[in-house]
Parts: sequence; C-alpha cells; structure tokens
Amino acid sequence: MTEEQQSESKPVAPTVKQNPDFEILYWIGCAASYDRRAQRVARATVKLLNAAGVNFAILGKEEKCTGDSARRLGDEFLFQELAEANIATLAKYKVRRIIAHCPHCVNALLKDYVQFGGEYEVLHHTQFLSQLLSDGRLKIEGEIPASLSGPLTYHDPCYLARVNGIHEAPRDVLNQSLAGRAGEQGVREMTRCREKTSCCGAGGGRMWMEEPPQQRVSTARAGEALATGATTVAVGCPFCLTMLTDGVAANESSARVLDVAEILTERLGL
Amino acid sequence: MTPTRETFGNISTSSQVVFYVVAVASMAVFGYGIWRRFRLWRQGQSISLKQLATGTVSQIATKIGPGLRRLLVDGLGQQRVRGRGLPSWAHGLMFAGFMMLFLGTTLLEINHLAEMVSKNLGFHHGLYYIIYELTLDLFGLLFIVGTSLFFARRLWKPPSVGHRGTDWLVLILFLAIGITGYFVEALRIVWQQPTGIGAQCSPVGLWLSSAFRGWTEGQARAAHLTVWWVHALLVFGFIAAIPFTRLFHLIAGPINLFLSKTVLGQLKPITLEEAERDGRIGVSDIRHLTSQQLVSLDACMECGRCEDVCPAFATQKPLSPKRVIQDLKGVMEHLADATPDTPLSPHDVIKPETLWSCTACSACVFVCPVRIDQLTLILDMRRHLTSEGGLSGTAATALRRMQSSANPWGFPQSERANWVPESTSPPPN
Repeated sequence: MTEEQQSESKPVAPTVKQNPDFEILYWIGCAASYDRRAQRVARATVKLLNAAGVNFAILGKEEKCTGDSARRLGDEFLFQELAEANIATLAKYKVRRIIAHCPHCVNALLKDYVQFGGEYEVLHHTQFLSQLLSDGRLKIEGEIPASLSGPLTYHDPCYLARVNGIHEAPRDVLNQSLAGRAGEQGVREMTRCREKTSCCGAGGGRMWMEEPPQQRVSTARAGEALATGATTVAVGCPFCLTMLTDGVAANESSARVLDVAEILTERLGL
Repeated sequence: MTPTRETFGNISTSSQVVFYVVAVASMAVFGYGIWRRFRLWRQGQSISLKQLATGTVSQIATKIGPGLRRLLVDGLGQQRVRGRGLPSWAHGLMFAGFMMLFLGTTLLEINHLAEMVSKNLGFHHGLYYIIYELTLDLFGLLFIVGTSLFFARRLWKPPSVGHRGTDWLVLILFLAIGITGYFVEALRIVWQQPTGIGAQCSPVGLWLSSAFRGWTEGQARAAHLTVWWVHALLVFGFIAAIPFTRLFHLIAGPINLFLSKTVLGQLKPITLEEAERDGRIGVSDIRHLTSQQLVSLDACMECGRCEDVCPAFATQKPLSPKRVIQDLKGVMEHLADATPDTPLSPHDVIKPETLWSCTACSACVFVCPVRIDQLTLILDMRRHLTSEGGLSGTAATALRRMQSSANPWGFPQSERANWVPESTSPPPN
C-alpha cells in the first residue's frame, strides 16, 4: 500500500485503540465533544493535525470531564473521582504527551492532575500549531482569503495566558495566518492582554450559572475587543468562544468570533 | 581634619539615658502589638514552620530559598508594587527613603554602642562618614517626596483604596519625622560649624542651615536639643504605632511573602481521611484557615488593585476580593476574645452570592503586591458551601450531570466522539 492509500483508510481522528502507536494524545474536552459550536474547533484542529501528518489519537468514549469546573465550584471529591478515572485511562494507554484546545483542560491536566500522580507534557493546541508552523510541517502559501483581510484582535483566556503564561504561541499562529495582508500588520491588541487579560466570565464554574444581562462579564469584554475595531475576534478557549460570541451579539456587532485553529484552517484553505 | 560628627553630640548624658528608656518602652509597645496579632494567627491550621528549619543545610536552603527570593525580589526589589504609575512611584520613593534611613539609623546606633565600648571602635568618620551623610541627606528627600505623594492620594481618595483615620496619623508622622530630621541636621551644622567636605556632604542640611545665619552657638545648641527630642519622640511614636496602624504591613507583608506558596491555577487537595477526621469539608470557621492565610489577611493594605481587576466587581456583582479579605480579617479579630468553642464562621459575614460571583480568573492573585491568595480563600469557603448542599440552580445541575455522565451537559458518554467528521472511515469492529 502506498502512503497515500494508507492515510485514506485511516480515520481522521483515530482513537487510542485504532492507533495504539500514537505519538501525542489530542484531549477533546466536554465542550468540543458536545457543544455544536465548539465541535468545529476540534474538527479544525483535526484537519490541521492531519495536514501536518501528526501521529495522534483521541480517547473517544473513554475520555471524561477533567473536573475543572467541579473543583472550582467546591466539589473536591467529584473532581478527584473524575481525575482518578482519567489518570487511570491515560496510564492504560501510556500517554505522556497531550494537546488540548481548552485551557481549563490544559490547566487541569498540568496543574491539578500532577497532585494525583498524573504527570504529562501538556500543550495547548496553539503551542503545537506554532511548532508545526516553525518546523515547516504546516506551510502558509498562496493568497490570503478575503475573510481574513479585516482587523483582528485576540482575547487571551485567563487559564492560558495568566495562569499558565501561554500568550505568544497563539499570537504567533495568528500573525503567521495574517501575513501578507494589505495595509495591516498582525493582531490588534486590547489594553488588557496577555497575563493582564480580563475574564470572559465563564471560569470557576460560572459557565454553568445564569447572569442577568446587565451584569454579563462577556458583554463588557466583547466591548473591549470590538473597541479595537476588530471584525474578527480570535479566542483560544471554548468557554471564551461561547461567552464572546454572546458578548459580540449583545454589543450588536457582526464581528466573527473564531478559535485560533479555525483561523489557521481558513488561511490554509482546509 | 577628618570629616566627622560626634554621635549624640550636644545631647547630655541624662538626655541619652531618657532616650534609651523611651526607646525600650516603644519597642515594648511594638512587641506587644505584634504578639497580640501573632496570637490570632496561631489559631489557624498549623503550617509546620519547624519543618522549614530541619534537615541538612542544603535541605533547609531548598525549603526556604523560594521564600527568601520572594522577600528579596517582591519585598526589597518592590517587583510587584510596580506597574501602577504614580502610586507605584510614591511607594518606591517612600520605601527607598525609609529603608535607607532605617539602615542609617541602625548604623548610627551600632557606632554609638561601639564607641561606648571603646572610642577606637567608632567608624563614623572619614570616607564612610561622607558617603553616609550624603546618602541619608538625599534619601531623606525621596522619603518626603514619596510621603507627600501619598498625602495627595489620600486627599484624592480613589474609591478602590481603603481609608482609615489612622492613615493620616501615619502620613503626618512620616512627614514630621522627615522634616525634623533635616532641622536636626541644619541646627547641628549651625553650632558645629563644619568646614569643607564635612559640611558639603549634607547639601540639604547645609542649605537649610543658612536660614539660621546669625544665631549664636548657644542658641543653635538649645534649638538643636529641642528639635532632636521632637524628632526622637516622633520616631519612637512611629515604632510603637506600627502594629496598630496600616504600617503593620511592614511586618505582615514580608511574612506573607515568605510563607505564601501560591501557584496560579492550583488548589490544595482535601483527602477523604482529612474530611472524615475533621467532620467537614472546606472552611466553616475562621480557624479552618491556615496560619499563613490568617497572616495574609493582615498583610492586606487595601490598595485596591484586586478590586480594580476583578471582573465580578466590574459588572456590579456582590464581590470585591479586597472586601472578602477585610471581612475575613474582621472575623479573625473576633478571635481575640473568643473561647475555642465560640463559632466564628466567615459565612456569617460573606454571603454565598459573593462567593459564587467569582470566575476564578486569578486576576486578583496575580496583581496583589504582597501575594495574598484571595482565590484560594474564596474556593475554600465554596468547598464548605458545596459540601452542605449550598449550590443550587443550573450549576448544581451541571455538577450532578458531571457525576452521572462525566460531562456537564449530561449527554451520554457513548456520544462523546460523535463530533468526529463524517468522512471518518468506520472504526474496526
């Protein structure tokens, strides 16, 4: 069989059982597993991983919620139950390296699980994509699509930028995706960015709570993003994706809210 | 002639004796003030300080290294005070002036004690003297400028900054100490009549001394003694006031910097054994906080940075991280006259809505200059609420779904990979 035929017969997102020799595990998280909008982020990421020929696998039905929200809502033992189940599953498949597109999963896998014996190398998908770009495994070629010609800003997720210090990788992916635009260079920054970013309103279990419209953190933050003049708001977290999409709508704007991976697939025409 | 001045020059022996008696008295008040807070801190959960000092030298160094680093970088280096424009400058100037004057006064005292042993042990002369006088003369100005900026800020009253009546006492005390210090120096120059470098090395004092041109030596000596006493009593008043005013952060701030082990995004696990032994989960009594957490409450200066960056506060929710710290501190203060059985629940003063408003974004922890961990305090209290079934509504539903379906949406586990694109070839078997 030629290499091409092989890749055709392989699932686009193989499970750890289908691809036991995987090099890196892609942790999907609950949002991309069940939320229709966030599912598109996972699909975009999978397209990019496939395009770069990354040997990865997913846990599929064996993945459970990391328990981040449970722990931060104060339910320590529910969190521990989920953490122990996930750590056992990860051990069963000898997982050492993980990529995740949800900063809450990244933080849980990196900082919560280590307390219960789960030690992994965890990368946010933007870090991994930035590596793929610099290694030349993903190549930016051709004309930039018209959809990416407008001003773009990036909202740093708290659990990524502040809590884990990851803020250059997403900018690197975005700036490379925007390269070749007429007139404008790179990402437009909000006043509160990187470690000083402001919350989307969904952390600490607030994702699961109702907020009166006049008190929505997401509306305020989306207002800051739109104040840059951006017509595209890039995010790096499925919670931020939901919150800022609502926030942009509450600001009566037609700006697009997209994950960094979606912007890169758009640029690559995938 | 070597440039120098006599330590306690123009101060009679009887005055010196009274000086030392007052010094001991003010230190005693200072010590009592610290001890009364220390007694409160000790009622928290043990943080095993003894462990820090056990083991081989290198083991101890690894244990206390990070704390010392925080003291040097965050404390002496003022790393976390920076970034707020003028108030940061004000603190930096006041801090630099204060530390240098404190160091200078200590050296002067060492010199005085050394000279009591033997005149030959005195070191307050020559090149050392020139550098000493010049440094203190200039840093005194920084101290006064920094204090004046804070004075202006207190008049301005930014809403996020806490204000208490004693803040004025502290600022007036500081200004008075700085100004009388210069008068002591100027009047000493008038009666001592130093020449050459010995006079030039105190430029501010020398400039001020010109105001007393024409005074006789006798007049200058009398005025010098009076102002010297005023200056000394102000300083002793300041030392005694430290534990009873906002100045207490001079003590609690560095202790908290040394003890605080905050890692953003990480929480302390609770084991089932602990939960069974204690018969509770989380914090339902102020004594359930650790001693370090109690110290951190006293480290708070109410600078308001946490409140300024809090997304819940910004959207008119009932949460201010600063308020939470102050409320907890209020409960801690009740420990002073409580018996071990008196229940002192923080939940009596901090409402559940306040605790549920937090998005755990860590912004408050990130900006706190003295590394208070507001988030962990909030989550420790949430743990208690949740264990008592205090969470209701959609968030409680999400928790139940996480329990039953391992995801907060409550969809079946079997559908977890349904997002995988259609084009996927069917999995083998």
